[in-house]
Amino acid sequence: MIVNTKWLEQYTEIPYSPEELEEKLTYLGLESTIKKNPAEKINGVIISEITEIFPHPNADRLCICRVDTGINTMDVVCGAPNVKVGQKVPLVKIGTTLPNGMTLKPVKIRGVQSEGMLCAEDELGLSDDHGGIMVLDNEAPVGMELKDYLAGSGTSIDIDLTPNRPDCTSHIGVARDITLLTGKELKIPEIEFTESDESVRDYIDVEIINEIGCPRYAARVVRGVRVGPSPKWLVDFLGSVGVRSINNVVDAANFVLLETGHPLHTFDYRMINGNKIIVRSAKDGEEVETIDGVRRELIKDVLLICDAERPVAVAGIMGLANSEINEDTTDILIESAYFDPATIRKGSKYLGLQTDASYRFERGADPEGVIYALNRLSDLIVQLAGGAVCKGIVDCYPRIVKPREIIVRFKRVNSLLGVDIQQDWIVEKFEKLGCKILDRDSGSVRVEAPSWRPDLEREIDMIEEVVRIYGMHNVPNAKVMRIQPNYETTHDYELVEKLRELIANFGLYEMCSNSLVNQVFTEFGPQTLSPVKVKNPLSQDMSHLRTTLIPGLLQTAKRNLNHQNPDLPLFEIGFVQHYNPQKETHAEEFQKFAILLAGFFEEKYWGYERRKADVFILKGILERIANRFGISKIDFKLEKHKQFDQIISTEVDGRQLAYLGRISQKYLQNDWDIEIPVFVLEGDVSTLIHLSSQSRQYVELPVFPSIQRDISILVDTNIKVADVERLIVGKGGKYLQELRFYDLYKGKNIDKGQKSVTFNLVFRAEERTLKDAEVEDTMAAVHKTLLKELGAKLR
Amino acid sequence: MNLLERTNEVRSQLKEDLSKVQNTFQSIEDFRLKYIGKKGLIPSLFRDFSALCATEKREIGKILNILKKDAEKAVQNIQDRFADSQSGEDEFDYTLPGVPFNRGHLHPVTQTMNRICDIFKEMGFGIEFGPEVETDFYNFQALNFPDNHPARDMQDTFFIEDDILLRTHTSPVQIRTMLKQKPPIRILAPGRVFRNEAINSRSYCVFHQVEGLYVDENVTFGELKVTIEVFAKKFFGKDVKLRFRPSYFPFTEPSAEVDISCIICGGKGCRLCKHTGWLEIMGCGMVHPNVLNTCGIDSEKYSGYAFGMGPDRITLLKYGINDIRLLFEGDIRFLRQF
Repeated sequence: MIVNTKWLEQYTEIPYSPEELEEKLTYLGLESTIKKNPAEKINGVIISEITEIFPHPNADRLCICRVDTGINTMDVVCGAPNVKVGQKVPLVKIGTTLPNGMTLKPVKIRGVQSEGMLCAEDELGLSDDHGGIMVLDNEAPVGMELKDYLAGSGTSIDIDLTPNRPDCTSHIGVARDITLLTGKELKIPEIEFTESDESVRDYIDVEIINEIGCPRYAARVVRGVRVGPSPKWLVDFLGSVGVRSINNVVDAANFVLLETGHPLHTFDYRMINGNKIIVRSAKDGEEVETIDGVRRELIKDVLLICDAERPVAVAGIMGLANSEINEDTTDILIESAYFDPATIRKGSKYLGLQTDASYRFERGADPEGVIYALNRLSDLIVQLAGGAVCKGIVDCYPRIVKPREIIVRFKRVNSLLGVDIQQDWIVEKFEKLGCKILDRDSGSVRVEAPSWRPDLEREIDMIEEVVRIYGMHNVPNAKVMRIQPNYETTHDYELVEKLRELIANFGLYEMCSNSLVNQVFTEFGPQTLSPVKVKNPLSQDMSHLRTTLIPGLLQTAKRNLNHQNPDLPLFEIGFVQHYNPQKETHAEEFQKFAILLAGFFEEKYWGYERRKADVFILKGILERIANRFGISKIDFKLEKHKQFDQIISTEVDGRQLAYLGRISQKYLQNDWDIEIPVFVLEGDVSTLIHLSSQSRQYVELPVFPSIQRDISILVDTNIKVADVERLIVGKGGKYLQELRFYDLYKGKNIDKGQKSVTFNLVFRAEERTLKDAEVEDTMAAVHKTLLKELGAKLR
Repeated sequence: MNLLERTNEVRSQLKEDLSKVQNTFQSIEDFRLKYIGKKGLIPSLFRDFSALCATEKREIGKILNILKKDAEKAVQNIQDRFADSQSGEDEFDYTLPGVPFNRGHLHPVTQTMNRICDIFKEMGFGIEFGPEVETDFYNFQALNFPDNHPARDMQDTFFIEDDILLRTHTSPVQIRTMLKQKPPIRILAPGRVFRNEAINSRSYCVFHQVEGLYVDENVTFGELKVTIEVFAKKFFGKDVKLRFRPSYFPFTEPSAEVDISCIICGGKGCRLCKHTGWLEIMGCGMVHPNVLNTCGIDSEKYSGYAFGMGPDRITLLKYGINDIRLLFEGDIRFLRQF
């Protein structure tokens, strides 16, 4: 909603500068921004009068205008089609820089020297209009700077209205809010016209079939008008809030809309058949052509205004082409109605059409403002376009919108806000708002809310009024902040954050990807479940909720590879959804943690050779996570899956915790156009939390020394380290405390098909110092077993 | 040549040799053996010295002892010098980069969310979560958004079914918590939310919210104000100024928007704050009685406040990031910066 200060001043005195007003309205809840006047930037453009026009000697399309600047006369070459002698026009002098950056230089046009330039509005940065030179009003003073002339039209302020304030979709509404601060009077324009002898009932009859959609419909008829241009004051007022002048009747209706906030509609009376207006629901499939020239198919949710034979308007939204005001219209039917907000909203949503009228009706127009707006428009039409207003009003009001009574307890106001506001102050402000004070005692006041404030329904709404008028900045901060014991909070949040920190500390960067993905992304991974589909997606690439985090990571990897950044240690923690009709929301949500590695895992460094991404980094991360969450044992199991070259699933106590692996190179190439190896891990956060254990027990430090032995053997390459370990543990005896595999070697000096594996064994007895000989015996037994079971050779 | 003359001769020779000793083990060892080795010049002088008579001994003994000490000291010095050079002090390049320990870290929005949560946790707020796929009841109806109300336009919605949608704010967590817990309730609800808005540099269809709720007896607007002020000063710095402007949200009344003085210009006006001097950081208000009553909490006995903010926007402001899409693209060059 744009308001203009000069326009607002018609209704109340404003003792503030535009900047002060901007701030005060904002503090009242009407978030305001002064619209910069584009004319401010124009320097060196003065108002001149065209005194003579000569044809250009060398060009048919050009002419030479002699203009009077008040000091001298100048000849200017001009190509605009609309120049006429006597026009007041802005003249750009040589040397002036226009808002578009062009500086006017002395120039000969087709052999004739031009001493300046006449220009269109777009060249001055005032609008997009390039239809001809800008022509000013006849009263514009010759010789005056254009910007000084335009500055006289007030300051425009753009208000970002919240949906609860339909009353402020008007200048009177905003002016009323200003009086809350100034205490000054609100002046509503008086109605001055006198009615003719002809009765309106002879011309029109109104029947409301859908009374819920249209609780009130009033009409007047004005006869004998002359449609023509509007006077300057009206054009200027409308222009100041961005509304273009059309003709005096349409402009008058727009003016009353912007003045009172009440949308009105004018029909060409000639086109209304049978002297009849019928308000009814549309039929499914009924077709109409609105004044914007669009044919629209309707449904029964749309409310129609009809004459005896056919629809003439889509109620509260837009008129139809068949009954529009034309230049030759003489008799006008004015509609002023109150339509049900929900009905208009449904219609407007269905048609995809929001208009100045629907915007106001769906927020709630003033049911009691119907008659004033009707009279105000009739009055203006008579003033601007002549004619006579028929006697009487057809006012069909089958469903009275009841006024709302509200009891406000003064104590409640102060206790909820934490303030101490005087009762008299509160009552005075309620009156200024337009409330009727019905009753008042020492503890409370009973008011009737004004009909233009549908948002005032109950006590809390009135408390909100108090605080916005009192000023939120005047409410003191409480001195004490209360903290209550809380036994309800879970520690899951802390555990998730711990996991996040932990993964980042392995050297991974957290990322955050879109939850909305292409359907093909939901077909990834060992566990494909049916995805949740969005009914109204932004695009097919965002049509489903992700079922796994991996495709999001892959997409990110792809983007980074395109930027020649192949070294990617990435992770994400987030929710995924699966379709499950058993659930209240038909979706089951799982929080996942996922990691993607590609390229080198470590930074380049002079001191060591950096490690490339591989499965064992992921395995190590998972083992470390498990350790930090108090999980002692994970079972790894080799699986097979077509999207993976290697895939390992992990279980803890029979529950699936995570899977990890190397994505199939073929799949990467075909589906992702990725050429380098990519390794991923995905695990379930709530399983991790469920399995986690806080209890860690201290183990007594050993008293007696240990004995260490290394064993290095050659075995076939298909022998698994875990199998070797099992054999060692089996023969290691009760004093074998630790067994650690620490070296794997293939290649030089080792036969093909063989590998060297090396373990470190720690022996210790708790009650005494072990003897070397005991350990030697055990080691010999271990060697024997390995030789027997695996054919292992000692190295 | 008598012993005294020989002693002086050795001294001058020692001085000359010392200047010629190279900083190598061999050269130093040669020098040591020549003078103080068992068969060296100085021990040989001492051997001759023992043959002298008492008077001569008294005359020369002192001089000879000084020479011995000086020679030993010289050897010690050149040995120390050699040892120092061997320790590599000259070749030690302290400018070599240190080990680049695991450099990963959290996403900037996570960092912002964690900081917000930490501040409110200090103020006694517990953390609660709710589903991202929600029902119309929790996301709208229970929050006092009537059907067919223009307030629903404030939040363009992705629908799954007619009554199931992607939550447009984390406010449903308030409802779920109030239905489950009894006052006093003091919670924070961080999470991901969705709006069906075109993607551009200023808006993304997925973003985050942190909402807070406090319900108890006699909760006042003044308490809301001080809570927000403590948060803002801890988060943005204690010199930051706040302003509360009346606004409208269906689930709170009175409702307010909170602005802070611009973190770049301090309120003078700059491009970031669009020359207003203020930056909008959150919405808040007193919980609407309809919301309390819907959740079975007597709005006559209890009152409460709620607030909500967007950590994505705060992250953009804090780091001067001009395109919200960067937060969701995972460009490693971007992620590394925080």
